[in-house]
Amino acid sequence: MAILNKKQKVSDEIPSSSMADIAFLLLIFFLVTTVFPKDRGLPIVLPEAQEEVEVSQRNILHIDIMPNGSVQLRRGDSQNTSTVSPRDIEGIWRIEVAQNPNLIAAVKTHPDAQHRYMIQVLDGLQMAGAERIALQMLEG
Amino acid sequence: MAISGGGFKRKSKASDQIPSSSLADIAFLLLIFFMVTTVFRKETERNIEWPDAAATQQIDEKRQNIMYVWVEQSGQVFINDQPVAMENVSNMVAPVWLESNGRLRISLRADARTPYRFINSVQEEIKESGAIYVVFATDLERQMQRVRR
Repeated sequence: MAILNKKQKVSDEIPSSSMADIAFLLLIFFLVTTVFPKDRGLPIVLPEAQEEVEVSQRNILHIDIMPNGSVQLRRGDSQNTSTVSPRDIEGIWRIEVAQNPNLIAAVKTHPDAQHRYMIQVLDGLQMAGAERIALQMLEG
Repeated sequence: MAISGGGFKRKSKASDQIPSSSLADIAFLLLIFFMVTTVFRKETERNIEWPDAAATQQIDEKRQNIMYVWVEQSGQVFINDQPVAMENVSNMVAPVWLESNGRLRISLRADARTPYRFINSVQEEIKESGAIYVVFATDLERQMQRVRR
């Protein structure tokens, strides 16, 4: 046994020179497949089913969205409507809510109006800090 | 040719090579980071035009509690890559809502050009299912793009 004791040429260590290559390969794989979540939007809370609340007309600001994207504003207790651009909603809401803190925005969208117009109005209201928003479809 | 340093050439002890022994450690660190943060996509994104909104905010909820409801321009609803008829949306949402203990957020990913009648129908369906937290998915509108008054 002692005579045949040849000097082993093979190293008894795991070769670590290619470790970095393996690691980088895996790294690039995960870099490419990673998708960072894009969960953003405008949050609203829907009313629970069969929940009906009586609200005085004085506290309602009717915001009707037309199919062409224009917005008709009407205070609950008046008959006068005014046509504005969705961009103006933010400023109008700030002025209106300063006069009446209990104001509710009743957003009624025409069935043929595009989703984006409703989002523009909702965006304006949320930018102005409105919390009491009702979303409905314009009837008739 | 004059000898630089006046002939006293000192042997530099510092190696002129970038130390590469810690390269693997750096790579593994990054690797572990990406392994942990990777979430494999469960469903494919539908090709929709996102509406823009300046008030866009991040949904403050875990990903498993977010359900995506896609609405295409034609009014076709998709949930989990499957086309769903409008009247079946509440049946799809209701069990998920019950399971989530009131934490479920519905991310309503509707095309910007969708007529509102469909959005309204989807909202009615979600309301019927009992879920109340809805997020209208939007893209963040840059302040620069916005025509300020």
